[in-house]
Amino acid sequence: MSKHDSTTDDSTTAGPTPETTGKTGAIDINDLTKIYDPEGEHVVAVQDMDLSVGAEEFVALLGPSGCGKSTVLECIAGYLDPTDGEVLVDGNRVSKPDPKRGVVFQENRLFPWKTIKENVEFGPRMHDSIEEGRAESILDEMGLDGFEEAYPSGLSGGMQQRAELARLLANDPDIMLMDEPFSALDALTKEIMQKKLLEVWERDNRTVLFITHDVEEAILLADRVVVMTARPGQVKDVIDVDIERPRDPEVVTTDRFTELRERALSVIREEAERALEQEDGA
Amino acid sequence: MDSRRRLVRVGSILSVPILWFVASRFGLLAGLPAPVEVVDTYVAELYRDDFWISTIRSTIRVLASFVIAAVIAIPLGLLIGRYTVFADLTFPALEMLRPIPPIAWIPFTILVLPAAELSIMFITFLGAFFPILLNTIQGARGVEVEYSRAAQSLGADSYQTFRHVIYPSALPAIHAGMIVGMGLAWVNLIAAEMVAGGTGLGFLTWSAYTSGSYPTIIVGIITIGILGAASSMLVRMIGHWQVDWATEQPA
Ligand SMILES: Nc1ncnc2c1ncn2[C@@H]1O[C@H](COP(=O)(O)OP(=O)(O)O)[C@@H](O)[C@H]1O
Ligand SMILES: [Mg+2]
Repeated sequence: MSKHDSTTDDSTTAGPTPETTGKTGAIDINDLTKIYDPEGEHVVAVQDMDLSVGAEEFVALLGPSGCGKSTVLECIAGYLDPTDGEVLVDGNRVSKPDPKRGVVFQENRLFPWKTIKENVEFGPRMHDSIEEGRAESILDEMGLDGFEEAYPSGLSGGMQQRAELARLLANDPDIMLMDEPFSALDALTKEIMQKKLLEVWERDNRTVLFITHDVEEAILLADRVVVMTARPGQVKDVIDVDIERPRDPEVVTTDRFTELRERALSVIREEAERALEQEDGA
Repeated sequence: MDSRRRLVRVGSILSVPILWFVASRFGLLAGLPAPVEVVDTYVAELYRDDFWISTIRSTIRVLASFVIAAVIAIPLGLLIGRYTVFADLTFPALEMLRPIPPIAWIPFTILVLPAAELSIMFITFLGAFFPILLNTIQGARGVEVEYSRAAQSLGADSYQTFRHVIYPSALPAIHAGMIVGMGLAWVNLIAAEMVAGGTGLGFLTWSAYTSGSYPTIIVGIITIGILGAASSMLVRMIGHWQVDWATEQPA
């Protein structure tokens, strides 16, 4: 399924490590199961999921709402302990959050009591590595110059999301975990953000796991689109996006894009219908 | 604020001396001194050392007790709010002590504490302590888990998460508790001073009653009112300055 599977054959747990590839930020999800409230409601959110994301790869995780996408991301982030199975990052088992794994949430999680600049400098300040002028230059790149001293509540939704991306970049993570980061934005702002993200990713060599329920967004951005089944979540299909980079939003008009979209849509439609049936049954 | 509201507010303040004047002029309340008489007494008091010593004493007692209460209640409340073990260990005991009226502590504290000063301070401390504690607990419990997670993913350890996330997001609730706490500190102080005696505005007011100098009672009441309002304002100002992020409007 993955181009990295070949590197795992000598060991049952270790995925690709920085020693074998020279790159950091590889994610290996092995047999991941997450059950919420096992004694009570027993919600099986994710079951026996396997997925490898290569270092510096851009993978989109696509699936109907409620299928367990956020759960997978929170296990990788180290917020949740898997009920069964494990998540490895560069061969090491994830047990808690780490600044190497940065997270962007759907609604902004900027600290409302800190200014934009303080938010962006938060990560570096935590490990005493503030560089003079770095926050300003990242904010500048995100089109937020002049808002350094503003509080998050003074910014529009799109600007808040850019500030959150700036805060993540300032911390220089190997992996960017993004949970539907642009889904609350209007179409135009969303397109600008997608472009920014591609720019940053093509330059900085980071692994990105990008959750979305927007098929076009997934194909536009990712190297591979992983489609999940309805709950309990598993990998249903993996679509390689063989569209050249650098990409810009115009590729959506090409034939290849349309083909890939149709394929993804047909898979996801099946699962969405199953998800609906599940709800009716419940 | 528009000018009409301002006018109404000024009217509200003025209604007190006007009603007072009317009540004393027509003898509605027996023994109520006339405003002019009180003003004369007030001016006279301003020249007496005893008045100033009492005022300064009471102010120092309130401020010191309040600061001690905040310094203990805020960290304690944050810990109780965040750590279940800590909450189970301390909260039931504190909840048992909380409903005891502060005045009820006076005989006991006078008995066990070496100085009346300490027992007055302790009673005042209690007034500020519980409101600050309860509000801090509530504030710390209300912190959204997403903020702590975001901090951890940016590399914050547990102390840093406490310092940069839990504490600041609990601040608005803490300040609400401090405003209530400051008010109750004055209430308890005056009660304690009246019972324990010695010095202070509570004692001054009470001894004015026992010696029959009724205008001085009113002087005491007014002074307590002014100082109470001033200290609440001080707490509010500190609050505004510390949580200015909560009031900023979208651009
Ligand atoms: N804390 C929780 N307790 C119980 N059930 C949960 C909890 N979080 C999520 N779930 C359930 O687990 C399933 C997967 O949720 P989630 O991972 O958020 O899905 P997605 O991100 O794909 O929409 C959903 O059915 C959701 O209701
Ligand atoms: Mg989700």
